[in-house]
Amino acid sequence: MKLDSKIPAGPLAEKWTNYKSSQKLVNPANKRKLNIIVVGTGLAGASAAASFGALGFNVDIFCIQDSPRRAHSIAAQGGINAAKNYQNDGDSVERLFRDTIKGGDYRAREANVYRLAEVSGAIIDQCVAQGVPFARDYGGLLDNRSFGGAQVSRTFYAKGQTGQQLLLGAYGALSREIARGTVKLHTRSEMMDLVVVDGRARGIIVRNLVTGDLERYAAHAVVLATGGYGNLYYLSTNAMNSNGSAAWVCHRKGAAFANPCYVQIHPTCIPVHGDYQSKLTLMSESLRNDGRIWVPKKKEDAEAIRAGKLRPTEIPEEDRDYYLERRYPAFGNLVPRDVASRAAKERCDAGYGVGTGYAVYLDFADAIQHLGKETVEQKYGNLFQMYQKITDENPYETPMMIYPAIHYTMGGLWVDYELQTTIPGLFAAGEANFSDHGANRLGASALMQGLADGYFVLPYTLQNYLADQIYVGKISSASPEFDAAEKAVRQRINRLMEIGRVETRRATSLQTVDDFHKRLGKIMWEYCGMARNTESLTRAKQMVKELEDEFWKSVFIPGTANEFNPELEKACRLEDYFELAQLVIDDAIHREESCGGHFRTEHQTVDGETLRDDKHFMYVAAWEYQGHGQPETMEKEPLVYEHITIANRNYK
Amino acid sequence: MNIPKIHSISKKILVGALGAFLSFFLLFHASANLLILRHDDGEWYNAFCHFMGTYSIIKVFEIGLLAALLLHAILAIWLAVINKMARPVSYKKPTRSKTHTGSKLQVWTGILIFACLILHFTDFYFVKSGWVKGKYMTKAEKVVALNATQPDAANYAEQHGKYSAKGNWLTNFDKEDKAFLEAAGLEVEPDFYHQAREKFKILHIVISYLVFFTVVWFHLRHGFAAVFQTFGLYNYKYSRAIEILGQIYTWGVCLMFTIVVIGVYFGL
Amino acid sequence: MKFTLHIWRQENAKAKGHFETYEIDNIRPDCSFLEMLDILNERLINDRIAHPVCFDNDCREGICGMCGLYINGRPHGNDDGITTCQLHMRKFKDGDDIWIEPWRAKPFPVIRDLVVDRSAFDKIIQAGGYISTTTGGVPDANTIPIPKHKADMAMDAASCIGCGACVAACKNASAMLFVGAKVSHLALLPQGQIEAADRVKKMVAKMDELGFGSCTNTYACEAECPKLIKRQNISRLNRQWIGALFGRDRKE
Repeated sequence: MKLDSKIPAGPLAEKWTNYKSSQKLVNPANKRKLNIIVVGTGLAGASAAASFGALGFNVDIFCIQDSPRRAHSIAAQGGINAAKNYQNDGDSVERLFRDTIKGGDYRAREANVYRLAEVSGAIIDQCVAQGVPFARDYGGLLDNRSFGGAQVSRTFYAKGQTGQQLLLGAYGALSREIARGTVKLHTRSEMMDLVVVDGRARGIIVRNLVTGDLERYAAHAVVLATGGYGNLYYLSTNAMNSNGSAAWVCHRKGAAFANPCYVQIHPTCIPVHGDYQSKLTLMSESLRNDGRIWVPKKKEDAEAIRAGKLRPTEIPEEDRDYYLERRYPAFGNLVPRDVASRAAKERCDAGYGVGTGYAVYLDFADAIQHLGKETVEQKYGNLFQMYQKITDENPYETPMMIYPAIHYTMGGLWVDYELQTTIPGLFAAGEANFSDHGANRLGASALMQGLADGYFVLPYTLQNYLADQIYVGKISSASPEFDAAEKAVRQRINRLMEIGRVETRRATSLQTVDDFHKRLGKIMWEYCGMARNTESLTRAKQMVKELEDEFWKSVFIPGTANEFNPELEKACRLEDYFELAQLVIDDAIHREESCGGHFRTEHQTVDGETLRDDKHFMYVAAWEYQGHGQPETMEKEPLVYEHITIANRNYK
Repeated sequence: MNIPKIHSISKKILVGALGAFLSFFLLFHASANLLILRHDDGEWYNAFCHFMGTYSIIKVFEIGLLAALLLHAILAIWLAVINKMARPVSYKKPTRSKTHTGSKLQVWTGILIFACLILHFTDFYFVKSGWVKGKYMTKAEKVVALNATQPDAANYAEQHGKYSAKGNWLTNFDKEDKAFLEAAGLEVEPDFYHQAREKFKILHIVISYLVFFTVVWFHLRHGFAAVFQTFGLYNYKYSRAIEILGQIYTWGVCLMFTIVVIGVYFGL
Repeated sequence: MKFTLHIWRQENAKAKGHFETYEIDNIRPDCSFLEMLDILNERLINDRIAHPVCFDNDCREGICGMCGLYINGRPHGNDDGITTCQLHMRKFKDGDDIWIEPWRAKPFPVIRDLVVDRSAFDKIIQAGGYISTTTGGVPDANTIPIPKHKADMAMDAASCIGCGACVAACKNASAMLFVGAKVSHLALLPQGQIEAADRVKKMVAKMDELGFGSCTNTYACEAECPKLIKRQNISRLNRQWIGALFGRDRKE
């Protein structure tokens, strides 16, 4: 495998312009002869499919939910970044680019990030034209707020439902194309395999989740926009059905997987409350604009709170430790996510945690005092309501309790500048690829990246790929490659269905898919979570392997493969998670440094900050699949910073 | 036959518009009824009825009113049938959502109103066409004029009839009198004043009318605000005002009707 | 806590369904409703009692609109402004009987157990629930100032999550609140006014065609909307409809 990032020549600020002016195009009459498959209907998928459709390509789009509007982009709360500088506070493309590179701890590709910052403004224009009701000020112009890792206000938002509004905008554009007939929608359809013909991605095998039938779809190119693999950890802020399987089957077929160990842990989530818990709920990062994070200064106070003897409001100001403001006076409560998460873990591990011991306070008393309850309600009302419904506590009166949780995966399929994976014709967009966030993503950048990829990058780069595909003619799904792929999927499903049905096994030793998933998640969270070291990782690897063996012996999937069967869906995804978990651990073991979301306890500064090793690890680790149970091989894509000066990531 | 497609909202708007038209009539009817409470032997009320019964424009209006009533009912029932079809399998547990109950009753109150209207028409409206027994009257001056040509008829009228307080009307005729007088060329019309005064002295009729008004109250209470909603006039600004206006109208109309019935019963 | 669950079971779209009763015990009050069903399913699988109960769910934080159960006579259960996944067992009394039914409406056929097919909503949106834009070639975002109160009202209408609770609650299985919310969202914004007349006509026609009932102003939709979308949006839909039929925008 050879990694060619295909970064265009020229100065950083001109690369994208240069690319666009020299790329190949497809003439309008030919576009309708070319088929594109898009998997996933989140921000990246929906916007890409809508854009392809509008250009005139023939598009098939797939989602596992009952409607494209359910994709998990919908749950993004806080906002979307764009270098519009509407606030006249010194923002620019250059600054957004720098913030993103620095936020990613200098582990992202310069050219990609610059392009992201460059197109960010156009995203806002596009969304407003689609009718996204962004927040406005009294003059009727667009309002902004600040997010972690930035000293400017560049985040556009629609209440605490920005992801929803952006997705509905893209969903509207997609719906229009569906009505025009350029896009065909396939709901409740899960991609089970990628079909590669003569070294190019030519189609997918899909399981119809309602009937259980396997279906074939052929195309000239396949775009994967299936999100991240955060649910590997079982408890995460991801939706229940979010999964990494589509990306993983592509990895199995030869697509390199980059930086799998970069997993983002979000500092402001509602803490875990019981072992039956199915997911964690995020409280938007925007809350850190006005909320102040603290724990008791005295250990005995913390203990009294945990025992229920003391209420947080009874602790006097001088006995509160606003540890983010104390440690990072320059950025205060608005430090990047990885920093805030680790700081919370540090306090809780030291015994200052509240609630179950694994929670800190996010306090709005000050904000309510100087802004007034009404303003706070207007800004965060729906988040407060959400918190109250879950915890039965009123955050207007008592501080919220929060704790970090798995939220986003910076790692993903390796892609070049054109967002093409190492399999020609297979493109990856949004969270499914690895490209723009380095080792840590800044808040409000995921929405930006998803839409940038879908609206403004893929419509260009995909044409460059498709330009000579017009000579291939229609792709048939009756080829031996499709036969083989479908057969493999069928075998795989049958194998899973058979596990619990071997008669010699006693029924009592069987376990459900969720049992295994919970145990896998626990291992990953304990040993490959917020803080990792060689010892914990080696241990985790062993445990995952053992768990996987147990899974293949004693998982029980009820029902049959030919019906609506959510347990089977979960089992297929979990099967992939076992392999993925091992790759995440391998990558974490190999990266002997701390950067962004990847914190190796062996590598830290005296005051507990990440310690990078730029000399040895300034590269993207792209892993290549070698077969089940075989160690993967790794290829390095060196990160060359031509434009930016490498510095320590300092938020003090 | 090609039935033009009427979309659900258009049907609703029609139902609403017809309902609004009927509501205006109802207000008019209720206010006019107050005249019955005057102890003037029907001078004013019957003058009003005479006016209503003779002018040709009003006759057109009357036909329009009946048509509106029928169309209102037909469209509403048509919608109700379609609505019923939209949920082929119903829920096991009855709804516990906080809703405006009036709307759920609307079709049923509507049907009840139709039933009550038959009663009401039997008591009053059909008297005009002579389908049922009732009280009739004729203009006194016409009888005087008749004296010259047909004294028998005039005598008959004066014997069987009673002069009203101001002597404008000869009243108290029954159905046979009507036939006789009409044969003589007199214009005989229903005497709704005395008819009402007589009917509303009978307890079971009073009670059935009170039931009628209660049903109307339910129908109007929901219908009034609903019309605004259906016409798209209900918004954040006026929602409160519309609701208050609805209350005033509904109570106003129903109380006016009730006062007349109860008033007559207690000899007011 | 202990509960008696009566759950609608239906093997597939064509099968005849029925209610099945299950007892469940040891549920913590801060367990969510769907987690309670997870626990039940775990037991149904482990004890080989039955196929686990199928129900749609995804984000479990009240925004994706995937979940939707009709619980004891109320869509999304006995609380206001929530989705089923936001309902917690503390809202019930120990020992309660809980009846769980799927959404019932002609355009929402049952797929299995409590899972229904809501693609009718997608079809309504496809009929015109968008502003026709193609990627690129749009003016700068701040070119058109929009009064804050209008933008806020549009946002309130746009917060619809398409869960179908309005249809499930409505005695006529009407989709007027869903359509009204989308029509309002777009009609309140200058960008959306260009196609407003066409949009409302197409969406309403599609709604009728799919077999949804009409609005009889019961407002159960408003009472059950997890995003508290107001009935004023239905009024605005009616207004838009009248405008589309008689207004300036009609075809000449």
